[in-house]
Amino acid sequence: MLLFLQALLSGTLTGGVYALAGIGMSLVFGVMNISNFAHGDLMMLGMYFAYFAFTLLHIDPYVSLVLIMPTAFLFGFLMEKVFISRVIHHPHQNQILLTVGLGLIMSNTALLVFTSDPKILTTTYSSSAFNLPGGIYLSVPLVISFLITCGITAILSLFLLKTRTGMALRATSQNREAAQLMGINVAKMSGIAFGIGTALAATAGALIAPTYYIHPLAGHSFLLKAFTICVLGGLGSVAGAGVGGLIIGVVEAMSSTYISSDWKDVVVFVLFLAVLLLRPQGLFGKKGEQ
Amino acid sequence: MKQKFLSLIAAALLAFPILTSAAPVKIGFINSITGKEAQIGENLTNGVTLAIEDLKAKGIQVVLVKEDDGGDPKNALAAYEKLVTRDGVIGVVGPYTSGCANVVASRADQYKVPLLIPAAAKEEITMKGYKNVFRLNAPANVYSSVLMKAVAPYKPKTIAYVYAANDFGVSTVKTAQENAAKMGLKEVANEKYQQGQPDYRSSLAKVKAANPDFVFLVSYDADAILLMRQAKEIGLSPKAFLGAGAGYTTAQFAQQAEISNLVISATQWTDDVNWPGAANFSLRYKAKFGKDPSYHAACAYEAMRIMVLTATTAKSAVKLQAGLKAGVWNGIMGPVKFADYGGYTNQNNHPMLVQQISNGKYETVYPAQFSKKELIYPFKR
Repeated sequence: MLLFLQALLSGTLTGGVYALAGIGMSLVFGVMNISNFAHGDLMMLGMYFAYFAFTLLHIDPYVSLVLIMPTAFLFGFLMEKVFISRVIHHPHQNQILLTVGLGLIMSNTALLVFTSDPKILTTTYSSSAFNLPGGIYLSVPLVISFLITCGITAILSLFLLKTRTGMALRATSQNREAAQLMGINVAKMSGIAFGIGTALAATAGALIAPTYYIHPLAGHSFLLKAFTICVLGGLGSVAGAGVGGLIIGVVEAMSSTYISSDWKDVVVFVLFLAVLLLRPQGLFGKKGEQ
Repeated sequence: MKQKFLSLIAAALLAFPILTSAAPVKIGFINSITGKEAQIGENLTNGVTLAIEDLKAKGIQVVLVKEDDGGDPKNALAAYEKLVTRDGVIGVVGPYTSGCANVVASRADQYKVPLLIPAAAKEEITMKGYKNVFRLNAPANVYSSVLMKAVAPYKPKTIAYVYAANDFGVSTVKTAQENAAKMGLKEVANEKYQQGQPDYRSSLAKVKAANPDFVFLVSYDADAILLMRQAKEIGLSPKAFLGAGAGYTTAQFAQQAEISNLVISATQWTDDVNWPGAANFSLRYKAKFGKDPSYHAACAYEAMRIMVLTATTAKSAVKLQAGLKAGVWNGIMGPVKFADYGGYTNQNNHPMLVQQISNGKYETVYPAQFSKKELIYPFKR
């Protein structure tokens, strides 16, 4: 029972960070109909940003989000304007090649600049835990990350539901041509969506930095997770990505507890295939959508 | 007559350099200078650089031909063949990785040019009876056996394994299990993990529930820090953490004092061991390269020193082989002798060291004759 609760709680907390990475990717897919394969590398840039803000400027990694989010948004917005917007009406394979290429450039530039030595961000609370009654331990940095994730997701939902720009984004996501006919500047919406997606990726990177190690290729394992989460939750569905992230986190933790940590990827992908077979549109996706 | 005269002159010309001055011996050095092993390869290069400097200071000249294998066995073999056929070296030091060393070793007897392997750990390299293959460092199974010997006096009863799902992790744990069985230790948990994941808490919680006396860990680089952080988080506190090499023997790990304190690990070399010149080597290395020497650097230094010293008197590959086989040395790697024992051929029975981290620094704690500090037991936070 103790093991079950420990796995459930740590799985949920880790899943929160996965969810944030997944939401960013899903938003971009929803609005622009592009799978961003540079998403993991954008996460990696967020990790390095948090690391250098901490070591050089002595800013706590969670406080540094105030700097990281606007910077990453701007970076994403410009990236969309300069590169992505050119392939938006092209076939999927061109878009995939472009984003994979951009990701390779980012990770290899990071290899050149930061070298392949992993960097460790050690804060005073890096390995501390809340001791719950009954002998359950919750990692302090993970709890903080989870709360920040919840906050950001709530703000993002409010933004998408209540503001004019949010509604325009949703409209573009539902039907790009119709939105354009209604007078929405869809090109601008693409830029904003990609900017938000980048900001969320970088935030996920910064949130995981204090409990992980920072490496130029660190984004690759998260890219696969983010993509799985998106498809599981329903491509383009922000709520689906949130739930998908939590599911993956908990399933991973449960399978390492009850089967073996060596097998957790197998369990995750079997579940993934099962969902695709039974609900090809994903958990929250609408039937008939891509 | 004319022809005879010319051949006499030719013979004289050929003989001349040998007669007038002691021509420097030509030695090859194969290392991973580029590729994914380049980071560790750099330590070997630095060790060799320092060895050549020291030899020159003693008036011993040597022509060193360096070759890069990029961590690829194919390139390593090509490098060895180039060194012995085109460059005409009489002995070769290297290569670094087990994969490369294993392939090159298989050809050494064919070319009859001695190969001195400084730091590759795979057991089988010196188990095939090759006459021209010598190894300075201890093979991989000694990592776990020396760790177990160091903690045996405390009469542990149970052990848990947490290790990376790769060749290094699996093979190290296999030998550890054999050693543990000999000591009568009961295995209570066995957690093989995928590298690069952010969350190992569930696996560690399982280990904690099994309440082992020892936790035996095998990880590369940063995984070691991640695992020990999460072990602290969930309150895993056995009587000893045994880290088998790699990630548990890096300066980066030791500096994380909050999680690394009192972790016990095995290594080929430390800078506070009482072998002649070890401390001094460490100081000079640090002054020259701006960082602490790793055991790879010490192994490469000593391998090159032994190779050049022996080659200078031998002057030919055949005599070099005999010289390496017969010689004994005592330097920064302690006593060295290439012997045949327990299925090994030309293997230095190198006494591995056990070190414990104390406030961010590695201290040698076993064997007693080589160490100044005592092992702290049991582990406490």
